[in-house]
Amino acid sequence: MHLQLERCMRHATSTDFMRSGRRLLAIWIVSVYGTMGFAVAQGSSITVPPTVRTPERSVGEWLVRMHEASQLRSYVGTFVVSSNAGGMSSARIWHASDSDMQVERVEVLTGAPRSTFRRNDEVFTFLPESRVVRTEKRESLGWFPDLLKSSDSSIPEFYVARRVGQDRVAGFDADVVHLAPKDNLRFGYRIWSEKKSGLVVKLQTLDPEGTVLEQSAFSELQLDAALKVDKLVQMMVAPEGWRIEKSDAIKTSAGAEGWALRADIAGFKPMSCYKRRATTGSALEGTMQWIFSDGLASVSLFVEAYDRQRHTQEGLFAAGATQTLTRRIKDWWLTAVGEVPPQTLKAFAQNLERRK
Amino acid sequence: MNQIQTSEMISALADGQLRDEAFSRGVETITGDQLAQETWRTYHMIGDVMRSGELAAGTDPIVFVSRFQQRLSQEPMFETESNANNLVAVETQPTIASLLQLEKPAANDASFRWKMIAGCASLAAVAAIGWTALGGIGGSTGQPGSAELAAVSSQSGAVPTSGERGVMLRDARLDELLAAHRQFGGASALQMPAGFLRNATFEGPAR
Repeated sequence: MHLQLERCMRHATSTDFMRSGRRLLAIWIVSVYGTMGFAVAQGSSITVPPTVRTPERSVGEWLVRMHEASQLRSYVGTFVVSSNAGGMSSARIWHASDSDMQVERVEVLTGAPRSTFRRNDEVFTFLPESRVVRTEKRESLGWFPDLLKSSDSSIPEFYVARRVGQDRVAGFDADVVHLAPKDNLRFGYRIWSEKKSGLVVKLQTLDPEGTVLEQSAFSELQLDAALKVDKLVQMMVAPEGWRIEKSDAIKTSAGAEGWALRADIAGFKPMSCYKRRATTGSALEGTMQWIFSDGLASVSLFVEAYDRQRHTQEGLFAAGATQTLTRRIKDWWLTAVGEVPPQTLKAFAQNLERRK
Repeated sequence: MNQIQTSEMISALADGQLRDEAFSRGVETITGDQLAQETWRTYHMIGDVMRSGELAAGTDPIVFVSRFQQRLSQEPMFETESNANNLVAVETQPTIASLLQLEKPAANDASFRWKMIAGCASLAAVAAIGWTALGGIGGSTGQPGSAELAAVSSQSGAVPTSGERGVMLRDARLDELLAAHRQFGGASALQMPAGFLRNATFEGPAR
């Protein structure tokens, strides 16, 4: 019985391999084109139009408006994310809020079934295939309203906002706002903000040439839907027999881990630093994650012990707006990930320094 | 011959068909012989895959990917047009193309394992991403290197192999890092309006 099976498998795998070869080729060609755009992007610098018309709203005002809209309104819709690398995912969204609580349910429609619930900064991810619920607290979700309003925000220093027109998205009239970076260390954004409420209905990440790297948009949206916060909260309970996995990240500081930056990367401030517990058996065990943000774009520096077997390829790659850089630093291996141009990750890599 | 008998025995053992002395002989074979152990694992993997894709944990993806990369880098380079014609004719070279044409009926274990890898490779290849050389990391950022660029594009008809511009396979570990970045690194003012939805919608790590 097994011999037959083996033969059958052999046949199947060889055709698979032929297919995989073709796929490899196709993906590689796409990536080469991507790389070409990439390299050109590196060479040029951002040119801010010399005469920017006085905007109706400043960057900060736009962002506060968009943020508040997402806090105050209830809505149901279908959200689609696509990247220039060809990836596309969609999800069904439910969002309800009352005076002190916001609840969101995201039911992924692409790939393996997964639903994510958020109650303020608490996030539950349900994975029905493995009957696991992952729970975590995302403190980053609470940072921004205050940060936006405070004078400490560096966003206006590095981005300029301009309303560039209007459009209709998912049946709603929207203002189109361009957030242009003032230097070449960050990407630009084009944001569709629903006219009455300010809700973000579409968002594009742009490279310096204005090419869309990634796009998120509602394809269908029902604003002010009759949704009850408590109905959604009730759904956040793990069904019987499911395993609950708590996040294994513990807070630390880069200094305590023995790392520092020789020089600041313009606009990027350290936000937090985590380390994975060494006992969990997770692939990230012992890895430090140092997080930076300029207010809109964020960068994670992952540092772990260098492993000759695994860490074979230093490089840079792009998938949608997300760039990744890998580099060996003496006995350590750095993986820098961020929604930023490659030169920003290079600057981080150059400035990361062991201080122990 | 002997190998086939051993395989049959392992197969029967895996199916729970061996009893008494035959059973202990089977167990003995597996514990003593590395090749037999691999066969044993392979049979179980086949069984698992047939029963449910989820159970097919198989090789540690990290180990698999590094082995695959190593193997890929040993493959002879596919040259562009000039060599394209030779490629069809050259049978002696163990190129990917000729490997595929191997239709030997013998249970050639080594090539079987290679094809198992090839099967998994189709999964890995879906996630394959082109990498650029890190050439300019220490240099000025304004030097994309147009010569390098030309070199890359002139190769666009070739199967990526070793060298500076190879294929980086997005392995499970990198997926975990990307997921962790989305999870904890979503430090953006756009997070609330759209970023959280984007991250939750985007496919997470395959677990």
